[in-house]
Amino acid sequence: MTTIFLVDDHRLFLSGVSAELADSFDVVGQSDDVDAAVDMIRDAVPDVVLVDVHMPGGGGVAVVGNVLETHPGVRFLALSVSDAPEDVIAMIRTGARGYVTKSIAPDELKDAINRVAAGEAVFSPSLAGFVLDAFARSVPVEADPDLDSLTPREQEVLRQIARGYQYKQIAKRLSISIKTVETHVSSVLRKLQLSNRHELARWASDRRII
Amino acid sequence: MLAGVAGGVSETVGVNPIYVRAAFVCLSLAGGAGFILYVVLALVVPDDPMNNGDEVAPRASRPRRVGMALMFVAVMLFLQAVGLWFGPVVWPTTLVVFGLAIAIDTSGINYERSLEGVTAGRRSWWLVIGGLAMMVAGLAVVLRSLDRLQSFGVLAIALIVAVGGFAIVAGPWLWSLIEDLRTERRARIRSEEKAEVAAHLHDSVLQTLALIQRTDDPKKMVTLARSQERDLRSWLFDENSTDTDTIQGALTSAATRVEAAHDVPISVVVVGEANLPSDKHEALIAAATEAMMNAAKHSGATKISVYAEMADGAIDVYVSDQGEGFERDSVGDDRRGIRESIEARMQRHGGTAIIESSAGEGTEVHLTMNGAAK
Repeated sequence: MTTIFLVDDHRLFLSGVSAELADSFDVVGQSDDVDAAVDMIRDAVPDVVLVDVHMPGGGGVAVVGNVLETHPGVRFLALSVSDAPEDVIAMIRTGARGYVTKSIAPDELKDAINRVAAGEAVFSPSLAGFVLDAFARSVPVEADPDLDSLTPREQEVLRQIARGYQYKQIAKRLSISIKTVETHVSSVLRKLQLSNRHELARWASDRRII
Repeated sequence: MLAGVAGGVSETVGVNPIYVRAAFVCLSLAGGAGFILYVVLALVVPDDPMNNGDEVAPRASRPRRVGMALMFVAVMLFLQAVGLWFGPVVWPTTLVVFGLAIAIDTSGINYERSLEGVTAGRRSWWLVIGGLAMMVAGLAVVLRSLDRLQSFGVLAIALIVAVGGFAIVAGPWLWSLIEDLRTERRARIRSEEKAEVAAHLHDSVLQTLALIQRTDDPKKMVTLARSQERDLRSWLFDENSTDTDTIQGALTSAATRVEAAHDVPISVVVVGEANLPSDKHEALIAAATEAMMNAAKHSGATKISVYAEMADGAIDVYVSDQGEGFERDSVGDDRRGIRESIEARMQRHGGTAIIESSAGEGTEVHLTMNGAAK
C-alpha cells in the first residue's frame, strides 16, 4: 500500500482528510508544524506527502525544499485552499509534483495521490491554465530553447486539461496513448522546475512570486 | 542613570530623581564633593534586587520638600565656606540646573516610567515658566561672570536658551500628544475595517451557513458552499474578478449564476488577456452563458468546465461537460437555445460556434470571437 504523510496547520482538515484516505492508503504520519514535519518525514520516508501551502514558519515551500535536499525520492502533492498562481507556481518550482485545491472530490484526490506516487505529474485545470499563461506571455531566450518553450503537443495536452478532460479522454481526443499524455505532462513539469529563463522569472515576479 | 544612586535616593526621600541628579551635579561643582558622594553611595549602598519599583516612598510633603531644598543650600554654603569651591560659576550654574529640573518636573513629562509614584506630579505651567526663567537668569549670570556678556548678545542668547529650554521641556510632551492622536486615528481605522469585515461576513457567510444548516439536499449544500466560497474569495483577494467588463469577470459571474440556479459546479480557467468591443463582448458572454445553462440543465454531468484563451485577434471559449451528450438531429425544433442563442448570436457578431457532441460522450461548445485586442 502506498504510504502517505499529511502536513496541514488546520487540525480539523488534517483529521478529515486522514479519515477519508485511511481506506486506500497507509497514513504513516501527520503534522501541523513545518519544522516538526520536516523531521518526521525524514524519519518516515513516505511515498507521497500531502502538503498545505500556507502555514506559519515558511509554509509548504519550506517543507518541500528542506525534505528534497536530503530525501530527493519523496514526492509531494500540494493541497491548498488557495488557487492563486503565485502559490501554485512557487510550489511546483520548489519540487511538488502536483497541485490540487482542497475542494477536490475524494475520488479525484485518491487518483491524484496514486499518480504522484507513480512518479507522474498532477495538473489541475487551473494549474494547466497558469502554465499556459506563463509560457504564452513570454518569448523564449536563446540560452536553452528546449526548456524555454512548450512543444505544440504539450500545449495541446495542457489545453485539454484546462478544459476539464481526464488523461484517458485526452488520449482519445488527440489519438495518442495515455502513456504519451503522461509523458507530455511530466515534461511540462520538468520544464517548469528546470527552466531558468528570465521570462518565467518575470512572469513570476509580476505576480509577486519571487 | 549610571549606578542607580539618584533613583535610589529619590525613592527613599520621595522626590523626582531629576532633583537628586541636579543636586549631585551642583555638589560636584563644589570641589567635586558631589562626584565623590555619588561614588561612595554607589559602593556602600547595597543593590536591592527585591525593590523593583513597587515600593516607592510617597511623594514628599511640601514642608519636607522645602526643608530638603534648604538643607541642600546649607550644604553648598558650608562647602563654599570650607573652600571646596570651583569659583563664581557655581551659584549661577546651580540656578540653571535647578531651573531646568523644576521646568521638566512640573511640565508633567514622565522621563522615568518605573518611578511613576514619585514623578507623577501635577502639571503647573507657572512653575514651568518659573523654572525656565531661573534657567535664563542663571545662564545670564554665568555668561557675565565669564565676562562674555555683550549688550546685543545677551538677548539673542537668552532667546536661544529659552527656546532650547522650551523644546527640551515641551518637545516630548507635544510629541506624545501627536503620537496619541496618530494612535487614536489608527485604532479608529482598524475598528472601521473590522466593522466592515464583520458586516460583510454577516451578510454573506453567516447567511449561507444558516441556509446550509436548513438544507437536506447534499448537492444543494455543495452549491451553497461553493458559491459562498467564490464570493468570499473575490471579496478577499481580487476585486476585479467580479468586474463584468473583463472576459474573466463576466465568465466567472455567469458561472456563479448558473451554478446557483442548477446546483452544478462550474470551473472557470482563463489564459492570456484581451478585450472585445462591447457588443462582441456581450454576445460572447451571452452565448457562453447559454452553453453553461444547457450543460447544467440537460447533460446530467456532475461538473462543467469553462476554458477561455485570449490572444490578439481572437478569443476562444470552450464550455465542456462529460455528461450524456446528444445527437444534433434529435433536438426538437422547439428548443431554440442552441441555434438562436448560441450559433446565430455568434455569427451576427462575426464569431463562430462549433458544437461537438455525441450520445454518451459529453458535449463541448467552442466559441470563437474575432476582433479582440490587448
